[in-house]
Amino acid sequence: MIVLEWLFLTIAACDAAEPWQLGFQDAATPMMQGIIDLHHDIFFFLILILVFVLRILVRALWHFHYQKNPIPQRIVHGTTIEILRTIFPSIIPMFIAIPSFALLYSMDEVVVDPAITIKAIGHQWYRTYEYSDYNSSDEQSLTFDSYTIPEDDLELGQSRLLEVDNRVVVPAKTHLRIIVTSADVPHSWAVPSSGVKCDAVPGRLNQISISVQREGVYYGQCSEICGTNHAFTSIVVEAVPRKDYGSRVSNQLIPQTGEA
Amino acid sequence: MAEAQSDKTPSLAEDYLLEKEKQDVATKPVEVKEVESAVTASSVEGATDKVEETPAAAAVEESKEDAPAPAPEESTEASSASPEDSTSDTAPAAAEESSETTEEENSGDQEASEETPDIKLETAPADFRFPTTNQTRHCFTRYIEYHRCVAAKGEGAPECDKFAKYYRALCPSDWIEKWNEQRENGTFPGPL
Ligand SMILES: [Cu+2]
Repeated sequence: MIVLEWLFLTIAACDAAEPWQLGFQDAATPMMQGIIDLHHDIFFFLILILVFVLRILVRALWHFHYQKNPIPQRIVHGTTIEILRTIFPSIIPMFIAIPSFALLYSMDEVVVDPAITIKAIGHQWYRTYEYSDYNSSDEQSLTFDSYTIPEDDLELGQSRLLEVDNRVVVPAKTHLRIIVTSADVPHSWAVPSSGVKCDAVPGRLNQISISVQREGVYYGQCSEICGTNHAFTSIVVEAVPRKDYGSRVSNQLIPQTGEA
Repeated sequence: MAEAQSDKTPSLAEDYLLEKEKQDVATKPVEVKEVESAVTASSVEGATDKVEETPAAAAVEESKEDAPAPAPEESTEASSASPEDSTSDTAPAAAEESSETTEEENSGDQEASEETPDIKLETAPADFRFPTTNQTRHCFTRYIEYHRCVAAKGEGAPECDKFAKYYRALCPSDWIEKWNEQRENGTFPGPL
């Protein structure tokens, strides 16, 4: 089992950081899948280049050792080799840039109209989430705060510094618009499994559009130094089936409308 | 090998489109989707909308019979959707195939609508004026559009409701509160 884990062959989906993790968390959105694929594609060529360069380096060290070869050859110019070693390294980044930019811009693009909008507002040091699609007035809205559970209050099985008291509930397989902003200092809303890391800047609304492909609980942390409790500003996204989402929201909404 | 098939295989975006949206994209003309166009988009959408609006409907059959009676709030939608319904009534066998898929969706919607009459997954559409990550102006513009609309059409005009929905979906409630205050004091910075 441990060997399997070393080889990144865990069976269960990995949606939170685990000890000594080296690889990615499993993708929950097409965006993250694209990121992982790009990473793997580039890494293949990166390792080829690394092996090639190391080979040249070791050969040079070996053959031009000062004891073995006290007077090296006095060749200081070679036009052909100089052209080659200039052209090729400058072409390679271009070939890396093409898929990289394609992915970057496709992540920005909003392909279809989103079905729901969720506002994630960063505070020192908690997060407020607003579901305002169902409002009929400016005052009434489904809003809740999400605090990290302190270490002493953790129950067995909960992740330290990751679990929060109120999770963001989103419908799975639905196009979401998440508006990220902050009420005080810059924060960042980051959920690795969904391929999202979006700065929360006061006075500015940043939009990310994602579509979570499978139900599950996804963990993330604040990714912009925001003060003393930066480490205690986690994010938990819970993706539920669409119809469950409806009942979850209305259950929370109805008591509120009763009050208002 | 893979290249030979590449024109058939869908792109990443197409691959991950949801079933309902695939139909929408196929039928919908390429234009910015306003609420009006969403109403007339396709018969499938019209049918599902109708069912969602009549929460008491127990089955699709019943909702079709109910269809001639216009929904109270959106009469334009009922009038535009009714010809499609009449055709499906006259040719039930032909509609059989398409209604199978809609029935699946409707059953899901109905289950939700029985418990939750309010919840309809709908929000401000993507706006071509604001294609970037930064949506600050989107929210501000929708807020102004609403209040201009109210100023022009009068308080409580039904055509302004969608702008209210949009700005409430996009703007943080703190901002709305602040702007409302500023409007009362006459210090609102935008062109109203
Ligand atoms: Cu932080």
